[in-house]
Amino acid sequence: MRQKILIALGLISAAWLVRNLSVMFLQLPDERDQDAIYRILFFHVPSWFTCFTAYALAGFASIFYLVKKNTVYDTFAVSAVEVGLAFTLVGLATGSIWARIIWGIWWTWDARLTWALITCIVYMGYLMLRNAIDDPTLRAKNSAVLCIFAFASVVITYKSIEWWRTQHPAPVLDFRTGGGNIDPAMQSMIYHNFGALLLLASLLVLVRMRQEDFLRQLESLRRRAHAH
Amino acid sequence: MRYASQCWTIATKDLRSEFRTKESLNAAIAFALVVLVLFSFTADITNPELIYEMSGGLLWLVYAFAGTLVLNRSFARELPNDALDVLIASPAPGSAIFLGKAVANYLLLLLIELICLPIFGILYNVRWERNIPWLVAVILLATWGMTVIGTAFSALTVNLRLRELMLPTLIYPMLIPALMAAMRLSTVLISGEAITGNDWIWFRLLIGFDIIFTSLALLLVEVILVG
Amino acid sequence: MDNRNFTYMFYGFAAAWTILALYVVTLALRESRLKTLVDTLRHMIDDKEKPQ
Repeated sequence: MRQKILIALGLISAAWLVRNLSVMFLQLPDERDQDAIYRILFFHVPSWFTCFTAYALAGFASIFYLVKKNTVYDTFAVSAVEVGLAFTLVGLATGSIWARIIWGIWWTWDARLTWALITCIVYMGYLMLRNAIDDPTLRAKNSAVLCIFAFASVVITYKSIEWWRTQHPAPVLDFRTGGGNIDPAMQSMIYHNFGALLLLASLLVLVRMRQEDFLRQLESLRRRAHAH
Repeated sequence: MRYASQCWTIATKDLRSEFRTKESLNAAIAFALVVLVLFSFTADITNPELIYEMSGGLLWLVYAFAGTLVLNRSFARELPNDALDVLIASPAPGSAIFLGKAVANYLLLLLIELICLPIFGILYNVRWERNIPWLVAVILLATWGMTVIGTAFSALTVNLRLRELMLPTLIYPMLIPALMAAMRLSTVLISGEAITGNDWIWFRLLIGFDIIFTSLALLLVEVILVG
Repeated sequence: MDNRNFTYMFYGFAAAWTILALYVVTLALRESRLKTLVDTLRHMIDDKEKPQ
């Protein structure tokens, strides 16, 4: 059953991505100021949405874990953070390449980039903490607390750095500006890609969760082996 | 009232044990001096404009680095002789233990910062005394933010082998909003100007940061300590 | 400008997909390593428990 869900998710997200790519290249015109490169944004922006969603869900899962003490929440949290980190790296890479063409530099300390880098470090710290604790219950508890702090910090940092420096393009999507800044076809493309990437992320999270279960089995088997 | 006296007992215990040996205090001040000296090699420090621009940043970097040495010791000092288990088993609630230690750390950090400020002024020829009330307010607020997160994370990492390495790695990214605000405000105040229009955002950020993370820490400390 | 644009666009796409692919590969490698470890441990335990 689980296998079937995974395969279904994989197929749907692959199909959706193919559809998006074809629309991207065949139907949408080149943007006035940015020529062809703007198409990277169709992966860049949805990656950010996906990673932020993953981190938010990990934060909520951590809260649930502390309340209910059910290990499935802990498994979900670590999987979501890992997948979120992967998408953060995608966002950073695509953003840099876009910036190289449009701004002429690979990196700049503007609001979103700085935030992205900090978020990356914060969640790498989460994974580091998990690696440093051997006892599964202590590990789950401590990393849940860290995840909650991390998400709060990441949200606050988002706003603060925005006040500090802004070179990044200002919001153009409708839910932020109230409409009129962006061609509707491009906007819908961003949302479409967000959907597709979110499905892909869910698939990866489910796979990672299964691995975490393996890890738990491994640890309990190790303990049994040592007991003999 | 019992709660307050429990916090106070723990705070004074920590302070007393720290002042007996003064080891982390000395280490922190020595480290702060080292950073101040190292920084003098990074740029043309005889240029007053440059120094005033970087004053806030440098000051808070020094405070952050030195502070971590103190914060690390906070829960680590309870490890020998199972003192931590005894503390947790005592009738004092987890939040009282946390607040007590936080207050002790706060006072220690303020002491270190108070000592470093005039040294910084002398070494870099910076006149920081022009806006003292506001500067003190900023220092008090930002140091509390550092203390709360540092103490909470000290509890989180107390059992780890690589505690000394993990604590700075974990807390510095979290402290970035508070440090940014403190640096920005300190630069403005040390340069002799008053806090104007846009800079009030940073002041409000400091207050918000303190409130949010103090509440979060108090909520979660019971879980961290006891499980 | 136009040519460079297209090239970099493809680099961008390549980067995005490569990172995701690397992550999937890491997952797959970890999975096979875990599977072998679990099987080895299982056999080890069964062997130890058999005579009893």
